[in-house]
Amino acid sequence: MKVAFQHANVLPGRTWNRLGINDTEFRAEAAKAVPYGDKAVSLPAGVTLSAEPFPAEIETGMGKEAADFVEKNRNCGVSLRVAAGAKPERPVFLPYELDGARSAVVDENAVVAGEGSEVTVVMSYRSRADLAGFHGGLTRLYAAKGAVIHLIQVQLLGDRCAHFDNVGAFAEENGKIDVIQAELGGRRALSGVKTRLDGRKSRLNMDAIYFGDRKRSIDFNYVAEHTGKKTASEIHVSGALLDESEKTFRGTIDFVRGAKQAVGHESEYNLLFSPRVRNRTAPLILCSEEDVDGQHAASTGKIDADRLFYLMSRGLSELEAKKLIIEAQFRPVTDRIPDEELRAAILEYVKVRLNGLESLG
Amino acid sequence: MERKKTMVRDIDRTVYDIKDKVNPSYQVREGLTAEIVGEISKAKNDPAWMRDFRLKSLEIYNELPMPGWGPSLDGLHMDDIVTYIRPNTPMRGNWAQVPDDIKNTFERLGIPEAERKSLAGVGAQYDSEVVYHNVREEVRRQGVVYTDMESAIRDPKYGPMVKGHFMKLVPPTDHKFVALHGAVWSGGSFVYVPPHVKVSIPLQSYFRLNAPGAGQFEHTLIILGEGADLHFIEGCSAPKYNVANLHAGCVELYVAKGAHLRYSTIENWSKNMYNLNTKRALVEEGGTVEWVSGSFGSHVSYLYPMSILKGENSRMEFTGITFAGKGQNLDTGAKVVHAAPHTYSNISTKSISKDGGVCTYRSSVEILPQSYGCKSSVSCESLMLDDRSRSDTVPAMDIRNDDVDVGHEAKIGRISDDAIFYLMSRGISEEDARAMIVTGFAEPIAKELPVEYAVEMNNLIKLEMEGAIG
Repeated sequence: MKVAFQHANVLPGRTWNRLGINDTEFRAEAAKAVPYGDKAVSLPAGVTLSAEPFPAEIETGMGKEAADFVEKNRNCGVSLRVAAGAKPERPVFLPYELDGARSAVVDENAVVAGEGSEVTVVMSYRSRADLAGFHGGLTRLYAAKGAVIHLIQVQLLGDRCAHFDNVGAFAEENGKIDVIQAELGGRRALSGVKTRLDGRKSRLNMDAIYFGDRKRSIDFNYVAEHTGKKTASEIHVSGALLDESEKTFRGTIDFVRGAKQAVGHESEYNLLFSPRVRNRTAPLILCSEEDVDGQHAASTGKIDADRLFYLMSRGLSELEAKKLIIEAQFRPVTDRIPDEELRAAILEYVKVRLNGLESLG
Repeated sequence: MERKKTMVRDIDRTVYDIKDKVNPSYQVREGLTAEIVGEISKAKNDPAWMRDFRLKSLEIYNELPMPGWGPSLDGLHMDDIVTYIRPNTPMRGNWAQVPDDIKNTFERLGIPEAERKSLAGVGAQYDSEVVYHNVREEVRRQGVVYTDMESAIRDPKYGPMVKGHFMKLVPPTDHKFVALHGAVWSGGSFVYVPPHVKVSIPLQSYFRLNAPGAGQFEHTLIILGEGADLHFIEGCSAPKYNVANLHAGCVELYVAKGAHLRYSTIENWSKNMYNLNTKRALVEEGGTVEWVSGSFGSHVSYLYPMSILKGENSRMEFTGITFAGKGQNLDTGAKVVHAAPHTYSNISTKSISKDGGVCTYRSSVEILPQSYGCKSSVSCESLMLDDRSRSDTVPAMDIRNDDVDVGHEAKIGRISDDAIFYLMSRGISEEDARAMIVTGFAEPIAKELPVEYAVEMNNLIKLEMEGAIG
């Protein structure tokens, strides 16, 4: 199966083509997406599988090409309904293991949270280190009045995997979309998340961590579209680039006319560890409403020498100190993942990768 | 507290809008063909290399696409634009010899007065050609050359220098409108400051486009020798017509080792103007370029002065303000390429949108793989004065090594109620409080301008605040 998108992760306001940041290409060779197998998903009370069509009208961060691909080639995924008022105590876990027989996972998912409900959905994608696999995902979230959806996506694929996660979300009044993305593996990883804050006082909270080593290429497109009054978005991305890895981050806060008293904050923190990395950033604020507060801050550079010196003065080697700093950067995000095993897997994954690296020393 | 709108008046354009009778000595017909380009070249008595350059540029223009980003250029039809209009006077070195109508225009704009008071030299362009150029004797004695481009090209001493630099930094292949410039350029200034010469007071060129449906394509070439120092000021304006006018100028600045150049611009084109200007500086080791840019006029602007930091320890600083009112779509910002180690850039911009105006801040910061030890800081703030307007921030950064320190911040919003409340609690009226805040917003830029320009800017913005309206 050939996977090819010409224009994925399109920047909502185009700029100079020369910079190569207006959109990105995605190409991958993948095994045929055979049925993944109906491993029964264990659903907590209040959450049911729905036979209704997926809510296709919600726009996604990667765009239509990627969404169409998943709709056409899906081999797994779930459409979840959360009953009004339900607040299940445990999350819905959707773990995907890519292996020889199922090296291509194409999942289409939906979470429709009824009024006043709150649900956590955890998706994880893992593979053997040497597997040439492919994952393409499409997830749509709909938070009705006062509903809260926590979506956690963790990608720990091996170096020979190609991966994309295409997410679209919509929030009604007082609804909240809370997304955590950990883009830590794969050779080429794309992620696009677009959220429309439509209802009054709806909110988006978006935390992402990334880790680039060897020749990994990571490409993000996060869009918070404020159409409702008093809506609030927080987008925070942090990560580390080593070896010859590269990362592109597009983050857009879009205040549409009428989104009075909306607030949007975006921050990005990049740590660079090798002279051969490439870090591209386009943080946009689009605004056609005066009564808003939009802010963006980005900081990119080496590890702070004072921090390193402090840790080394406490007896750590330079390598140990650097590892500790990288781990500390991921910790606030990983600590929010409601699963001990997955948290430990993330930290272990990063640790193993850091151990094999020359460029840190 | 009841939420009130702040009233900020439009820029008072009376003095800029006075039209002179169009009385050229020669002009080409509308449109853009090889024949017209050949005609301009002949009329200007170009050397052969320049005629070939123009025709080559026209070919490039015809091949390049229109920009696929930025404000709409649908209202601009090259077939309707007159690319060359020669005013009815040769260039003079004395205002008394300049015809009265043209002289009066520049008098109203305050140019001769500024020249007497605070400038080392002045060039004044009217439509396609420079009508006045003069430099103070003491500056001339320092070896400083400040003349129009046409004289420079034909000068036996400086002609080869012009040929060696003309559109080398901004080649016609760069984009469609710079190719257009290469084909039909006329007028503009040439400045050469010899090594270690410091020009203590500024030089100024002023560009006035009077004819409706015309284009102005002046070329400014400034070459600073090692350790030289110059402040150059550029002003531009035009009366308003109801047909599209076009400005596609080009500015090339060469800043040698240890030299320092400050380039200030107050752009106040009329609201029928498409301002598609290209400016670029090449900065050698230890050199500095400082851009100060005020964009107030034009219907559509694409303006992003670029600095190429080629030598180690070179630096750039960009300070800009953009004010877009009704019918204006101003896309402005800056570009910098860190092409050498230990180079520094600092971009600081402010924008104000009101009455349906659109401001876009656009920038790029590129740090190349070999450029270790670089620092870059970008800060842009936008103020929206009503919900009919629009303000977008589109910065990009491309960082290709790890030994860098790059920071970026952007803010957008309205005048904060808390700030008003705080000032009012200190006994200041609401009206004064709003005035203070908007003036304070523009202040960091205003203080970078030469005094007379800061005054002009304040006149331009007319930040007369009236509370309780809206």
